[in-house]
Amino acid sequence: MNDLEFERLLKITRLRLDDLEKKAIQKDIEEVIGYFENISEISTEGEEKAHHPIKVDARLREDGILGFEDVEMLKRQSKLHDGYIVGPKL
Amino acid sequence: MKSYINEFLGMEKPTDYYSGLLSDIEKLNKEHHFITTLNKDISYEKDGRLPFTVKANICVKGFETTAGSKMLRGYLPPFNATVVDKINASGRFSFLGETNMDEFGFGTFGLNTEVPARNAFDNDYVAGGSSSGAAVATAMLKYHVAIAESTGGSIATPAALNGVVGFTPTYGAVSRYGLIDYANSLDKIGVMARCAEDAKVAFDTIRGRDRYDTTCSVETIGNKKRKKLFVIKELMEKAEEPVKSAFERLLDRLGGNYEISEIDSKIMDKAIAPYYIIAMAEASTNLAKYDGYKYGFQNEDTNRKYNDFFTDARINFGAEAKRRIILGTFIRSESVKDKYYSKATQVRGMIIREMRSILEEGFIISPALPIATPKIENASKLTPTQNYAMDIFTVPPNLGGFPHITFPYEYHDGLPLGAQLVTGHANDYALFDFVSEWEELFEYRFRHNLGEI
Repeated sequence: MNDLEFERLLKITRLRLDDLEKKAIQKDIEEVIGYFENISEISTEGEEKAHHPIKVDARLREDGILGFEDVEMLKRQSKLHDGYIVGPKL
Repeated sequence: MKSYINEFLGMEKPTDYYSGLLSDIEKLNKEHHFITTLNKDISYEKDGRLPFTVKANICVKGFETTAGSKMLRGYLPPFNATVVDKINASGRFSFLGETNMDEFGFGTFGLNTEVPARNAFDNDYVAGGSSSGAAVATAMLKYHVAIAESTGGSIATPAALNGVVGFTPTYGAVSRYGLIDYANSLDKIGVMARCAEDAKVAFDTIRGRDRYDTTCSVETIGNKKRKKLFVIKELMEKAEEPVKSAFERLLDRLGGNYEISEIDSKIMDKAIAPYYIIAMAEASTNLAKYDGYKYGFQNEDTNRKYNDFFTDARINFGAEAKRRIILGTFIRSESVKDKYYSKATQVRGMIIREMRSILEEGFIISPALPIATPKIENASKLTPTQNYAMDIFTVPPNLGGFPHITFPYEYHDGLPLGAQLVTGHANDYALFDFVSEWEELFEYRFRHNLGEI
């Protein structure tokens, strides 16, 4: 993986690494991608994709309003202003 | 049949039972770091039941639940995971605390967190991961069950390295509601105990459908007896000494009751790459929700622009989490998605098909790990792919969602060696029966018996 591609990934993953960390992680990532290349040797022509290990029923719940058991505790997870969660500027 | 649960529930306990237990745990925890949050309100008058712990990625209302990450420090879930509600409702268990783990489940040896848990037998050695604390707690406490979780071997590996029974159910047999996700198509909540019967009781307590988890769909669990044991040649070639010889001795002991044969597999030894590709792709999307104001870590500087604010918060991830976010994002890139991710899901399908066919006929048996327990100083020097290679036996059943159980079968230099038994989907009960039979032949050893009466 070249430096340009690595920087692109850091940008889209919103990760900031110092120089030492960058060097170490880039090296590790190259090693892992090299390892992943092994998968190309396996012939998968005509094979189905398995997104889950078992067949998962698409059981949907009835639409309805359910109260959350502890709204006050849920709100205490974040900084509030007039009952609204305070977030960063968009 | 041995059952610590029945033994405990049937005996008279001193009224200061829990205060003494908490004090003993606190002392040992200074060396072994297996508990992250202790429920100091547990009391005999109020509870009087068997202590249970949960891995720190399973939500317990009002108890700090960090999933081993600085990112979630201070997170107090406002609800219980379904498994916690179920075990509480059983009336037989009391919540004792949360157990240490690799950050978000990312690790084989339990080392990818700020203060790693250490092996219950010798604290110079790894505890195994990612459910490191759950396994150490089970090996330390005489009367206790642990609720743990596995994505690619996170129950089997630490259970084997600490000499306890580790059970991972069929994917979808236990609700994941309230589990802090690593990889949704692979995560399974399971249990650890000191004997097979207790693991079965704990599994029966937490399993069953849940309206909050649509993937939790396996209702009926069977018990088809198998008399054949299959050893996969291509996997066994990766085992090193002393594991190889010890495992051969185990097979000799089992040979009287089972028909054992070595068979070839076309695909099982190729499972590690597709497993990590799928796991990282899913993990990288799951970790996007930690933005610095919703859960745990709070970035106070809300005047920052969103991207900067988000980037500042993500400094809290550890090195392995950062690696997996970058790799998972790369794998999902449009230009390489088919080459890695789509291909990995096809290989997964091939592995499931082959294993399902083998498991129709018998169990698959193997060591849990290819090596004996490493020292922490040695395991911490392994490169990422050397680490991943340690999962050679645990990844195939996890990738395929097949139930499996780990049990101690020998001791080498005072440390346990564990074997792994795999069966077909929804045949989970057959595993407990096999290990209960084994327990008639082999006595497990424990270095500590905290809570002994």
